[in-house]
Amino acid sequence: MYLPDFEYYAPDSVQEACKLKAEFGPRAMFFSGGTDIMHKMKIGTLAPEILISLKNLEALKKIEYVPGKGVVIGARATHNDLVNSEILHKKYMSVSEAAHQMAANQVRNIGTVGGNLINAVPSADLPPILMALDASVKLVGTKGERVIPLEELFTGVCKTCCCDDEILTEIIIPDQKMTGSTYIKFGLRRSGALAVAGVAVAVEVDKDVIKDARIVLGAVYITPKRAIESEKFLIGEKISDELLAEAGKISCTECKPISDMRGSAEYRQNLVEVLTKRALRKAIDKGHV
Amino acid sequence: MSKEYPVIGLSKPRIDGREKVTGAAKYCGDLKLPNMLYGKLLGSPHAHARILSIDTSEALKIPGVKAVITAKDVPSLKYGISPARWDENVLCIEKALFVGDKVAAVACVDQETCYKALKAIKVEYEVLKPVLDYRTAWDDDMPQLHAEYAKNINTEIHQEFGDVEQAFKEAYYVQTDVFVGARTYQCPIEPHSALCIWKDDKLTVYSSTQSVHYFQHYIAREFGLRMGDVRVIAPYVGGGFGGKLEPTGLEFCGSVLSKITGRPVRMFYDRQEMFQHNRGRHQGTYKITNGVDKDGKILGVHVEFQTDGGAYTSLGIASAYYAGALLPLTYEFDNYKFDMYRMYTNLPACGAHRGHGAPQPKYAFESSLDNLAKAIGMDPLELRLRNARRPNTVTPNAFAVNSCEMKACLERVGEASDWKNKKKPGGMPKGRGIGLSTGSFVTGAGYPIYRTDLPHASCMIRVMEDGTSATLYSGSVDIGQGSSTILCQMAAEGMGYRYENMKIVCSDTETCPLDFGAYASRQTLMSGWAAKEAGEGIKKQIIDMASVMMNLPPDDLDCVKGIIFSKSRPKVQSLTFEEVARKLFVLRGPLISKGVYTPPRLGGTFKGAPVGTSPAYSFCVQAAEVQVDEETGVIDIIQCWDCHDVGQVINPTLLHGQVHGALFMGLGETIWEQVQFDQNGKIINGNLGGYMLPTTLDMPPINSMLVDSYEPAGPWGVKEVGEGATNPTIGAFRNAIVDALGVSVNQLPITYERVWRALKEKREAEQTQGK
Repeated sequence: MYLPDFEYYAPDSVQEACKLKAEFGPRAMFFSGGTDIMHKMKIGTLAPEILISLKNLEALKKIEYVPGKGVVIGARATHNDLVNSEILHKKYMSVSEAAHQMAANQVRNIGTVGGNLINAVPSADLPPILMALDASVKLVGTKGERVIPLEELFTGVCKTCCCDDEILTEIIIPDQKMTGSTYIKFGLRRSGALAVAGVAVAVEVDKDVIKDARIVLGAVYITPKRAIESEKFLIGEKISDELLAEAGKISCTECKPISDMRGSAEYRQNLVEVLTKRALRKAIDKGHV
Repeated sequence: MSKEYPVIGLSKPRIDGREKVTGAAKYCGDLKLPNMLYGKLLGSPHAHARILSIDTSEALKIPGVKAVITAKDVPSLKYGISPARWDENVLCIEKALFVGDKVAAVACVDQETCYKALKAIKVEYEVLKPVLDYRTAWDDDMPQLHAEYAKNINTEIHQEFGDVEQAFKEAYYVQTDVFVGARTYQCPIEPHSALCIWKDDKLTVYSSTQSVHYFQHYIAREFGLRMGDVRVIAPYVGGGFGGKLEPTGLEFCGSVLSKITGRPVRMFYDRQEMFQHNRGRHQGTYKITNGVDKDGKILGVHVEFQTDGGAYTSLGIASAYYAGALLPLTYEFDNYKFDMYRMYTNLPACGAHRGHGAPQPKYAFESSLDNLAKAIGMDPLELRLRNARRPNTVTPNAFAVNSCEMKACLERVGEASDWKNKKKPGGMPKGRGIGLSTGSFVTGAGYPIYRTDLPHASCMIRVMEDGTSATLYSGSVDIGQGSSTILCQMAAEGMGYRYENMKIVCSDTETCPLDFGAYASRQTLMSGWAAKEAGEGIKKQIIDMASVMMNLPPDDLDCVKGIIFSKSRPKVQSLTFEEVARKLFVLRGPLISKGVYTPPRLGGTFKGAPVGTSPAYSFCVQAAEVQVDEETGVIDIIQCWDCHDVGQVINPTLLHGQVHGALFMGLGETIWEQVQFDQNGKIINGNLGGYMLPTTLDMPPINSMLVDSYEPAGPWGVKEVGEGATNPTIGAFRNAIVDALGVSVNQLPITYERVWRALKEKREAEQTQGK
């Protein structure tokens, strides 16, 4: 395996990067970590003529809390930056935990959050938990910037609504009313495995009643998928094992998994049912996001 | 263990530990020579295709491409490793028989140019219908891979010992089961490579191989060279597990490319190519019929196997014989019938994979015994205890077993795992299961791979002129199992010397005396005999010299850990090995010695009788306790046990390491591992992300135990541990999983999804019955 020839740019500012991308169009790809791009270029399934590396955009590595806005994660933060972030440990442990379940240490050291989101593979581990926490993303382009809900970013398998000249610069997790959240990944081994299915939930519990719930399914649809019907079913209801089991049953009607070498569609649907139930229980019991 | 020795039986540090841990150790793929070129093979993109034309002209125009070769540039003599079926060409002549079959080769100034050159070679193929399913490979409408082998049958075996039919007639209970295995690959961490230097009339090949001798033999044969003009060296080797025993094509093509360019050429496989070259575990369908009497005594066993051999023979004839030959080892029964077909398919060739042909058939046999135990209402441990082989017995297929602590191993594992209590009703929580299996393996094959009367192992020891070190020269190959360490321990023990002063030069055909290398778990016993003899030869010379220096009869002297002393007169001033050795060198010249080992004539006279013969057999029992998540099918291994009869242990740490490694491989093959193909015969998971090896986090705690044992056919009583430890593993884990599920699963790998499905089907069946 070897890398085919390509041109390489490493601009110093977001503006410059956007300009380059606007200029080269689809011939170019942004490169941020590259754990997926490098592999695909080597096996020949991706052949960009130009790579625009974002490695010099140091400012995008920050993870900080901005009062009134929420926790802002720079798109260049690596997965291990998330794993080790004190701010996340304090505010959103479940995000840090989801990052820890990804791939292997080597990949977590290199791969970035922005890269993971823009890559938009259905089995990605970060989108479900971020969507469950109602995160939004900032996209910066040559014509200005926009902030959209993360949910709206994904449009298909490896497809996003990010325009050609746009860079995803930050992820914003707003302040929460939710009282608990978690992501359960189901992989075929305990490390270095892609999700066969994954379920993230965030719940707002008042005494023993669910006041609000967000359920996001991973690896079982062309994009990370909200289980809206299941959420509606839960809101206002008193917590019981039967209730959570029923929510699981509803969730599994809201996905549309494929069969591949890691598992059949039928098995994945079963996993969604079980994981939804378990994730809800876990998020309710742990009492923090 | 029973007897204590000064050097053996102790966990001495690995002789190569420091080099490996610091990264200083150089493997074949690390080697660089001045002016060296890099080479690669071009693989066929089709599973079955006629090669109509090859145009290399565009590739040759690329700057940095120094040579491109095709079948016309290499010898057309077919090669292989099992002489009865040499069926591979160095480069395909008419047809390519699997995706990755070697069609051309290039030598270039760097690796990148190699890949560019491969892309530029234009091959015109006529795509033929492939044979992808071994079960239907003999059907009339299937194309034939090799003209000489009708119906795609590569190997056919029919053996009967005693009278199985009669035994079944007399049996209280007869049961037939069918089990299905999976194609798995060894996945050594080090990729295969070969650095070839063909200068004038001399060919030198550095290779990541398990046997420098067989490589030397086959390379010399292919090119019509004398063995003396071919030197094969194995540098550090990063794992083999059976997959690096035979030529790969890298060494043949590298040699030709070196001859053409006049430069050293290093050829290499990447991970996907390793999967394509394969030579891993055969998958098969295993039908087993057992007949027992009222007490659970096995009266007769009939096994009918069909396996997927892939496109070439590789070591597959031996694998096919091994599949049935080793089954009668752990239990005593007189009537045994073994029918076997190894099929050709247009898939990568299968070969010897840790435990050779035996682990999957053993899994099937041990699974069938658990099914049988259930059917007659007997505890699985009890069934095995009643049939356990005893020492000094002969199997129906004429293998003489000397030491054998089968029963003691069963009892020990039974105690350690608290088997009896756990098997009581309510003895384990819901979803929990426990299972066990026996295992056994050859301690070296009784006969060489090709017919020859050469000794199986030999070595030399040379003591440094001042006696401060001694070097063992052995053709053995340390592929990570630690043979260099234990052979130095054994040499030092024989010499009466210190392990810490030993050096080793190994796996080089020019500097080391012949040894067949690392396969069939043979080096501890066979290379060990040679090391012991050579060591004792040094000791004798030292004692003779000391006898003169001390003015005492040799019989009264002994040498232990480098000190020579009088046995009868403790007050006599002792001498050091160093002073005696130095004196000896001054007076008599180099202090050298040699050792050699040839096994005795072994086995019966029927067709295929030599496969499975061995001077000694190891025995072991493994048990596992698992917890199954009934909603998802996830299998959590709580812990596992291994109890081994390996005779005298040379290095306990290395021994337990082998057990851990074997359990890792066997566990992987039980739950996760399977090489998967698309509908055209192309591998879809030929990488370490897609091919699911267990990770360290998936490994359970392991209790590795030993029973006292002494093997008269081994030096100091040793037997093997390397491969036998894989023999019971799949069966033990399978039986534990099935115990947890309460329903049989007869197909490998037993993935989480298969577990979930089995439980779902069980529930549905219960509901139907309930209605």
